[in-house]
Amino acid sequence: MQNLHRQLLIGLVAVAMGAFLALVAIPNWVSAPDKVPHIVLSPLFWPYTIAGLLVLSGVGLVLSGRYSDEIFNADETRIPGAMKRILIFAAIAIAYVRLIPLMGMVWASILAFGATVSLLRPGHPRLAIICAVLFPLILYVFFAHIAGVAVPQGKFVRLP
Amino acid sequence: MSMMDNLAAGFGLVANFQAILSLLIGVVIGTIGGAVPGISVTMSVALALPFTFAMAPINGILLLLGVYKGGVFGGSIPAILIKTPGTPASSATVLDGYPMAEKGEAGRALGMALWASCTADMISNLSLILFAGFLASFALSFRPPEFFTLILFSLTIISGVSGKSMLRGALSAVLGLMLATVGLDLIYGTNRFTFGNPNLMGGLNFIAVLIGLFAIPEIMAVIWSPGDEHGRARGLGANRVSLADYRRCFKAILRGSTIGVILGSIPGIGAAPSAFLSYSEARRKSPHRENFGKGEIEGVAAAEAGNNGVAGATLIPLLSLGIPGDVITAIIIGAFMIHGLQPGPLMFVTNADLIYGLFIGLILSSVFLFVVGSAAIRVFKYVADIPRSILFPGVLVLCVYGVFAVNNTIFDIGVMFAMGAVGFLMLRNDIPAAPFLIAYILGPLLEDNFRQAMLMSGGSPWILFSTPITWIFWALTLFSIVAIIRAAMTSNRQEQGSMGF
Repeated sequence: MQNLHRQLLIGLVAVAMGAFLALVAIPNWVSAPDKVPHIVLSPLFWPYTIAGLLVLSGVGLVLSGRYSDEIFNADETRIPGAMKRILIFAAIAIAYVRLIPLMGMVWASILAFGATVSLLRPGHPRLAIICAVLFPLILYVFFAHIAGVAVPQGKFVRLP
Repeated sequence: MSMMDNLAAGFGLVANFQAILSLLIGVVIGTIGGAVPGISVTMSVALALPFTFAMAPINGILLLLGVYKGGVFGGSIPAILIKTPGTPASSATVLDGYPMAEKGEAGRALGMALWASCTADMISNLSLILFAGFLASFALSFRPPEFFTLILFSLTIISGVSGKSMLRGALSAVLGLMLATVGLDLIYGTNRFTFGNPNLMGGLNFIAVLIGLFAIPEIMAVIWSPGDEHGRARGLGANRVSLADYRRCFKAILRGSTIGVILGSIPGIGAAPSAFLSYSEARRKSPHRENFGKGEIEGVAAAEAGNNGVAGATLIPLLSLGIPGDVITAIIIGAFMIHGLQPGPLMFVTNADLIYGLFIGLILSSVFLFVVGSAAIRVFKYVADIPRSILFPGVLVLCVYGVFAVNNTIFDIGVMFAMGAVGFLMLRNDIPAAPFLIAYILGPLLEDNFRQAMLMSGGSPWILFSTPITWIFWALTLFSIVAIIRAAMTSNRQEQGSMGF
């Protein structure tokens, strides 16, 4: 029943996405010139076609899901605390992006490395700390001084 | 220019220290990446891509091809030593490689894996050189209707064979097409899903989408299920592969290479099915078939020849038609695009020197693979011991630096994380990401060719059925849909049968 649910759910989400695209997103966020010689050349034609295909594949998934007994990877194991760790990682990712302009790429990376390591319960905490500091610095040297990328420096500490 | 002129020009591009070093570094990185469980070839190529921006086009592309070649072989090392395939394509190598390692013959198994890989790689490269030019000269006569039907056929087959379900593959491809519509309209220049944000006007950055889809979900999968443990690496043992072993397995290697070349040149199929098909054919034809699965060296040779035979052949549709046959060639097409090059039949006219330079580099890569592979077999223990809890945070930081380096914008890093979330959801729901990425790349081409065809015909759709080539592609598309559906129904019936229904 669980597996049936998953296939059906994916199909329903696809149908909902297709409907949202056709009814809300395309009319509001795709602009087209007033006069187009043929409808197939309009900037709206392709997005509407894709919305139709999305609904079609969703319907196909719903129909096939009713008779499917396929076992999904995600259903095989339940791992304690997995969702909590993923949510924490999402928070780390958001903080990482926000911190880059403020602290600079290197310092934000050191913090993000450290935070991600702590999520993974390292067997070698000292090595992890050394890597957390050294790895972003080595990448900084490569990208800033060899590849010539303007790596963000942040507002507090500037690196040479 | 004649072929000899092109060869000379290509040789001029490759015969320098930087090009050879790039290729060698690529093979080393690939072999290490493939050998580390959890780092796929795709991830290795994707992570190496940002390092090629500052390089000359030929050097950058050679580095990526080196990573690809090295990675495909590298996956066999943990498959044999710790029963953990470094890449999905090496899963067939486990079947006989690990039993050989258990018998104290890991060194012999790895030696045969290397010899078979290098032979298959060379055959695959030669096939590429033979067929790509021929196919490109044929494709030079293609007009927008032919290209439209060709891309449609490629997308159909990629969607159908990339995952367990054709419908989920199709959904993935449609989502990729949808994402490709973001940006300015190709003909009128009007906004599509840009929300007034100038960062979105040129569409989403391909590298951010790619790394988001293929690297971030792997990090999230490790966070979902953390832990550093893997099986104990077996010793190499006293036995080494001999010329007699190689001669005994030569037929299986040739057969596997041919299977690899044929399956590799069809978009979407990839190395894993080729390895398994090659393995099963070797078992069917072998006089020692009862030993398969118990440590038969011919099984290792066939599996490795099958997966390495694909590597050069996947470049046939890429170079001659501009169609990436799998995710790795999709990443390599990105490298071409970053350097302002568009693979396809015209490239054989406008950049023939680069094409021939790549051919020469590919032949060299087989030699490098042999040298690097021999060393990698000995030092694998140290590579396998890198803890995942340190490796994957490093990959995260590498992704962020790499994506930022493309356009020097933090917006792209946000796109990468957003695509990472999408990729993780797809991973958890068994929706293959490959059709998404390939559709994202081919989407603008598909739409552009469709609209050009419509402009040519004054809006009549019959132009899409107007020539024998379009009929062939329509027929192939229909045939693949029917074949995929039939294969899925047969497999369902077999599963139900085995479950006692």
